[in-house]
Formats: sequence, structure tokens, C-alpha cells
Amino acid sequence: MTTSVQSFPRTLRLPSLDRAAVWIVLVVLVLLAGLVSDAFFKLNYLTNLVRQAAPVGITAVGVTFVMLLRGVDLSVGAIVSMSAVVCALVMGGKVDNLWLGIAAAIACGSAVGLANGLLIAYGKGSAFILTLGMSIVVYGLVQMGTGGTARGIVSPGFRETLNGRIGGVLPVLVICLLLAVAVGIFLQSRTRFGRNAYLIGANPDAARLAGLPVSRVTVVAYMVSGFFAALGGLALLARTGVSGTNPGAGMEFDVLAAVVLGGTTFSGGRGGVGGTFAGVLVLIIALNLANVAGLPFAAQLAVKGAIIIAASAAYSWIGRRGGGLGRE
Amino acid sequence: MRQLIKPVIAAGVIGTFLTCGSMAQELDLTKKETYDQIMGWANEPLDTSAFKKDGDLRIGVAAGYLSNAWINFTAQSIKYEASLHPEIKEIKVTDAAFNPSKQAADIDDLLTSGVDAILFWPVDEKAILPVLKKAHDQGVATINIGYNFMRDPSVTSNAYVNQWSYTEQVVDEFIKSLDGKGKVFAMLPIAGSSAAVVQLAVLQDALKSHPDIELISTEYGDWDRAKAKQLTENLLQRFPQIDGAFSPAGQMSMGIYEAFDESGRLEELTLSPGDDYNGWTKLVAKEGKWGSVTSGLEVGREAVKQAVKILTGQPTTTAVVVPTRYLDPAEAAKLNEADRPDDWFKTDLPAEFLPQ
Amino acid sequence: MRPLQATALACQRLPRIYWALFLLVLAGLVSTPQFGTAANLANVLEQSATLAILALGQAAVIAGGMIDLSVGQLVGLITVVACMLFEAYPAMSLPIIAVCLGLAAFVGLVNGELVNRLRMSPLILTFGMLSILQGAIFMLTDRSVGQAPPVMTFLANGRIAGIPASLLLVAAIAVGAWYLLQRSVFGWHLLAIGNSAESARKAGLNLASRTRTAFVLSGLCAGIAGLLVAGRLGTGFPNAGSGLELDSIVAVVLGGTLLKGGRVSVAGILGAVLFLGVLSNILNLLQVPAFTQIVVKGLIVIAAILVDRPREAAAA
Repeated sequence: MTTSVQSFPRTLRLPSLDRAAVWIVLVVLVLLAGLVSDAFFKLNYLTNLVRQAAPVGITAVGVTFVMLLRGVDLSVGAIVSMSAVVCALVMGGKVDNLWLGIAAAIACGSAVGLANGLLIAYGKGSAFILTLGMSIVVYGLVQMGTGGTARGIVSPGFRETLNGRIGGVLPVLVICLLLAVAVGIFLQSRTRFGRNAYLIGANPDAARLAGLPVSRVTVVAYMVSGFFAALGGLALLARTGVSGTNPGAGMEFDVLAAVVLGGTTFSGGRGGVGGTFAGVLVLIIALNLANVAGLPFAAQLAVKGAIIIAASAAYSWIGRRGGGLGRE
Repeated sequence: MRQLIKPVIAAGVIGTFLTCGSMAQELDLTKKETYDQIMGWANEPLDTSAFKKDGDLRIGVAAGYLSNAWINFTAQSIKYEASLHPEIKEIKVTDAAFNPSKQAADIDDLLTSGVDAILFWPVDEKAILPVLKKAHDQGVATINIGYNFMRDPSVTSNAYVNQWSYTEQVVDEFIKSLDGKGKVFAMLPIAGSSAAVVQLAVLQDALKSHPDIELISTEYGDWDRAKAKQLTENLLQRFPQIDGAFSPAGQMSMGIYEAFDESGRLEELTLSPGDDYNGWTKLVAKEGKWGSVTSGLEVGREAVKQAVKILTGQPTTTAVVVPTRYLDPAEAAKLNEADRPDDWFKTDLPAEFLPQ
Repeated sequence: MRPLQATALACQRLPRIYWALFLLVLAGLVSTPQFGTAANLANVLEQSATLAILALGQAAVIAGGMIDLSVGQLVGLITVVACMLFEAYPAMSLPIIAVCLGLAAFVGLVNGELVNRLRMSPLILTFGMLSILQGAIFMLTDRSVGQAPPVMTFLANGRIAGIPASLLLVAAIAVGAWYLLQRSVFGWHLLAIGNSAESARKAGLNLASRTRTAFVLSGLCAGIAGLLVAGRLGTGFPNAGSGLELDSIVAVVLGGTLLKGGRVSVAGILGAVLFLGVLSNILNLLQVPAFTQIVVKGLIVIAAILVDRPREAAAA
């Protein structure tokens, strides 16, 4: 799955159009949303929509790096759950434990990412199955650790700050999301790790021959993914408070869809955090549209699926050879 | 091959839609009369002679799922009650994680390991009947602790919270606090679950006699605070005025509350009573309104007592019914344990049996 | 010496998952007396039938370097449709089964056609299809409906001369899958595509047609699995297939089939499905707490993929 396209020719692409595709889809969708709902362009509405996207969006930043390397990370949903549960548990409702809780969540997330990275870089198993297995393990550990009840209490001040709006307008979580995206863009374009990730993803064999530290970059990428997933968990905790032991259930698929929509496909080596950000917005606006249109639950599910297919197909069409694992 | 498939599919799809109208179930969960009938059945005497065992008892618990605070507390109270009966030698708990096929397999495995009674809350009532029949045929007592009453030769007994009357108590208070008018939406649990079906039916039934209350949308929040919040945010964007939210599950009510609060429209909101979920009773204490309906957590302990009666041949009825009660805001606020987590229920379990 | 050599050779060719299965069965026999009983073993086989059939279908798609995430919800859809139809037309069991299989194959066909025409990632496409099928199920019903045709109830739970009927069904499908994937020209081409779509195209293979057929096979197997689930549950439960897509992929990969395509082992898949079934059974019998069971299963998935990893798998 993850490597079946390594032999595709890369010379024929139109890089600029390729990269613009998801933004074109986004603009079309935004215009459409504006047509459907008068309220859409109101600041409150828009910022709220982006705030909804924060947990998925922050998590997707990290997964982008893994996918640049032709990997995949299905454990992020479980890491998000773990992060939220662990953070609230360590906080225990005390102000003093605020930073301890945050640190514990981030440490746990990064540790799981590290384990993923080591297993994949040195164990050389399929990333899809390994991270799926890891997500089962993490989910199980959280259930074992909590006995099935999310016993944590968030420190006073944590949610009030993160879930508030600066000046009553700009939600703090939106700023967090933008910050995460900025850090991601910095990582991908200004650091050696980012450049290596692109090179290795584009052609692992050549990268290895050229002496690039493939294993190390892989480990770091999965750690970055775990790290951002932990932040995503904190964002979720801030947004909705303690919500059961598995609040991130199924999130890995939304994240995956967003990253692929954003142009970081399974073929690796191209795309990036900017596109992922657009992909997240495409997904959240599309789902919001279906909801605002007043579709019943069943129809919304069907529309969600259709939108994922249609957006991905449109992207693939605009980007010629984009859209992922095409058979071309 | 394609030429052949298409007409067949067309016929299949048409046929499927034709059958939609003719769904029939043994118990119609959407009718009040069903529940009156259930209360009648519950008082019938139960012949326990077929299940009487001498010596040690082994009890299996086949959970449809465990990753939920209410279920978890129920499971813990089952273990606690079992510890009070010296004749119960062991108690085995399995978790089907919402998968009915896994639950059938779990029950198979419990039978293999030689349990005398199986307490279960079904992922789906009808879907585990085949394996319950197997249990029944082997002389194992089966006791349903699920959401719905089960009337079937393979189900020995029920420990039952009357969901209709529970939801009715929620709906009555909700309508009262709405003054019988307004635009409301319903926040229901997982689509397809019995809980969602019953709750919607009770609400719709009550709304028939209150034409001034308009149900503007039905949402499925999966018992999930985060999901309920997101769904509510979308509704707030869609509707300029929402007067109330029907949400019998406290944890989802909290998500609804936050969404209204954050959009600055809290003054519009009238919530239905929730249950005795700690996060919710905290909110009731803070707001001083809306109240709670007790969710019948005692059902776990009652089920174990019933199992012991059946297995030791004592006289009992076909079902034990755990009553629920509306608590006004002041009384509901007393349930709240401020130093406990949101994801918690107030119980009288000793410390070593609390979830950890 | 000869028979010994032959045995050694057979062992070498046996997918490695059978060693794990062997050890697991041994552990089961030693640790709990109930495990080895005929009734229990028959139970395990019956419990595993659905996943086996689903995984064999998934294998066709994976062999070609693709993936089908829609099979779980397709199982749910077929379960619901079969039970609804049977309740409406109780005299027409066989036509209903035919309609259901046709519907399942059609969904597979749609998947295959869309992969071909939209030139998009099968993962994303079938993920979208998963959601669409879930929507379709909930448009039909929001609760358990109808009744399973007795033929399916028998196939799922019945015995023929003491052997579970579902086992015979699995055996038949496995033989078919083995022939198609490992002995026929179709399988040869599919594996070539899975190895390298580019080279396969250059060699003049019809990628579109092979892709389509692979998805139709996957759909068809999901259809059969759906009917079996209906038979086992006796009713059309809308969420009956949730999560089965991932289980099927795990089974395929544990069985030594490469996720990137190009290698497939039907025997391995059967071994993997049995392994998962026996594991769950033993954990239940040993009274391992439910949450610990989850962790153990996750660890085993990880361990198995590391032990059975193909040498040629890339770093990713």
C-alpha cells in the first residue's frame, strides 16, 4: 500500500498546479458555503468552524511528515484519546498540576510516536499494520489505566484560557492551530529534517545510497506525529472537557483524509503542511455544509463519503497525477 | 456480467424499499402499551427449579461494551454484589466492544468455561438470541441487564430499568420548563441503538399533545460530549433561534450547554433533565435548574441478587424492575460530588470497588 | 529419510503464522482443559468463518497493491438487506441470497470502476464508500430488522456430519481463492500489478479489468460474509460490520500477504484467521480481563508483523 507507487515517473508533474489543487477546491467550497448559508462569512461563524477543526488539524500536521516518508500513522486517534485522558488525570483538578499534566500528555504521545518510529525504521514492518496494532495497544492501555471511566479533572484555567476568545473574537484554539501549522511549515522547509523527509520520501533507495540517515529521519517523523497528536488531544480536551475514555475514536481516518486531500499522498515526497491545513478546512467545511443543509444523519454519512471521494477525485483531476495511489 | 447485475440490483433495491413499511418486532419499543405489558410480565412468578444448583456458583457477565462510565459503574456494582455472596465462586466479565458477533462468541466461551448464569447487556437484543438459546438449552440462566426488556423463552429473567417511564419523566419536566412551546432539537445516543429508538419515540409521543413544540432536528451524539458539542454548534449556525434541547444523557447535555454558552446564546437554552452523571449534576448545581432523573445504577446489584435467587431455587418474579425518579435541581445538586471527575456516578460502592 | 525430508520441506513452505498458531494451540491445551473439547474447537471455527471469507476477498484487492476499506459496512448492508427481504418474502430465500450477492458484487464493481476512472487512491475511495454504505444502511433502518433466511442460519450454525457447515463454506471459498489468486492467469496478473503497476502496464496487462475484478471479488466475499453474519445473528443489525474492514486487513497481512501487493498466501490467511480466533477464545477462557485482552491483541498484531516481515519491505 504504502510503497506500491515507487516506480511512478515523477518528471511529468506540473508542480505548481499540483500544489494549488487543494486550495482551488477549498475556494470553490467556501464560495459554495457562502451561497448556501448567509451566516457563513460572519467572523464568529468562520472562527468557530476553524476552532472545531483544531484537534484534527493539529494532529494532521504531524501525520503529514509521516506521509511525506511514504508512511502512515493510524495510531493518532488513540494517542489523542490517551493525551486527553492522561492530561486530565495528572491535573487532578489542581492548578499546580497544570503544566505537569500538559507535559505528561506530550511525553506519552511522543513516547508512542518514538515506539512507532523505532518499530518501523528498524523492524521494517508495514506501517499501516504496525500503527494499527499500536493504536489497539494504546487504546487498551488507556482502558486498563482508567478502568473504563475517564477519572481526570481538568485544572481550573486550562479550558477557560485555551477555549476562550482573545478580545472576544479570535479563539485561542485557532491561534494554536495556526501556530502548529507554522511550526510544521518551518520544520518542513527550514530544517534539515524536513528536507531529508522530502528527499527520502521521493526516493528512499536513492536517499539511502546518498547516505541520508533514513532510519533516523523515520524515527523522528513518527515522534513528531505522536507529539502533534498529543497536542491535538490537549486541544480536544480544551474544547470539550473530559469526555469518556476514547474521545479520539476514529479521528485517525479524518486526519488521513485531510492529509491526502491536502496533497501529501501515499506516494510520499510531495505535498506538505500547508496543503494539509487546506485539506483540514475542506473536510470541516464540507461536513458543515452537509449539516447546515439540514440533511438527516444517514444522508450526512453518505454525503461525507461522497465529498471525500469527489474532492479527492477533483484534486486528482486538477493535479493531473495527484490524488494519491492512482494507477497511472 | 454487468448487464446481468444491473437489473438484479434494481429489483433488489426496489424490493428493499417496499419492505421498509412492513417491519415488525416482537416488542414494539415505540408504543407505551408495550411497557404496561412489560410491567405486567415482570410480576409473574418465575419457576426456578430448572436452574437450581448445589454448591459453588459461577457467573459470567457478557458486556456489550465496557468503555463507558455508566456501564463501568454497573459492572463494578456487579462485582461488589457478587463479593457479598460467599456461594459465588467466580465472576467472569467479557467485553464485546459493540460487536454483536463478538458478543455471541463471548457467550459461547462463557458457556465453555462452565458458568451457571450469564448476565448480559446486549449489543443488540435480537442478534444474541441464537446464542442465548444455546445457553438456555444447556440449563444456564440468562439475565438481561440491557436497555430493553427481553421477552423470550431463552431469556430467564430481566433486571430492568423502565426506559419508557425514565424518558417520560425527562420529557415531562422538559415540556414543563419549556411552557409547552418552542423550537427544540433532540440529542440522542448512537444511531440504531435501542436507547435512541425509545427516546425519540417517547419524545414524539409527548409532542403529539403539544403542537406548539416543534422538533427541528434529531442528532446522534453517540453518548459523546465532544460530538454533541460539535453537532450543537452546527445547529446553532443553522437555526437563528433554538429554545430547547432534549437530551436524557447528562454527558451529551454538557456538550450542548457549552456550545450554547460559547456562541453567546445560553439564555435561549432550556435543557431537559439529564441523568445522575457527575459532570451533569455539577452543572445542575451551578445553574440551579433542569434537574436529573436517576438512571437506575442499582440494576447491576439487583441482577446478581436475582441470579442467586434463581440458582438457589428461591421464589422470585420473572423480572426485577428498578424504578427511576425525577430529582428537582436542588435534590440533583446534592448528588454532585464536586471533587470527583465529570465522568463519574455517585454510588455507595466501597472504595475498593470504584473504577481504578 | 525421505518422508522426513518431505515433512521438512512442507514445514518450510508453510506460512509462518502456523508456527504461532501451533504454539498458541499448545498453550491453550496446557493452560485450560476446556480448550481442547470438540465443542469449543467447533465454536472457534464457527466464530472465525465470517472473518475468513472477508479476508479472502480482501486478499484479492491487496494482492493487486490496493486496499478495500468498504467491506465492513458492506457486510452490514447485506446483513440488513437480506433480513429485511426475507421477512417480506419468506418463501424466496434463494432469490434473496442471489440478490444480496448481486448487490455486494455491484458495490465492488462500483469501487473498481471508480478506482479506474477517477484514478484515485483505493484507500481514500473505499474510505468514502465506507461512509456512503453506512449512510445507506441507516437510510434503510436504524435498528435490527427482519429475520435471517433459514438457509443462512443453517450455514452459519448448522453441522453436516458433525462438521460446522460454515467450515465447509470457508473451505470451498478458500479453494476458489487459492485457484484464482495463486494458480490462475488472473492471479498471476494481479500479483504482477501489485509488484509494479508500471511494469505490468508496460507488459501489456489490462490493469483496469484486473482492478475491477479484484474489487468485485472483494465485494462478493463481503456479501457472503454478510449473509453468514445474518445467519449467525438471526437478524439484520445495522452496525454488524463495523470495524471488520480492519480485522480483515490484519488477517491478510498476518497471513504473510504483502500489504503493498505482489505476494499472497491463501493458506496463510486461513492460519491468521484461526490464530486470531483461537487467541480470543483462549483469552476469554483464561479469564484475562477484557481491557488486558485488547492490549494483548494489539501487541500480538505488532509482534506478528515484525516476525513475519518480508525482507523486501521498505523503511516506510
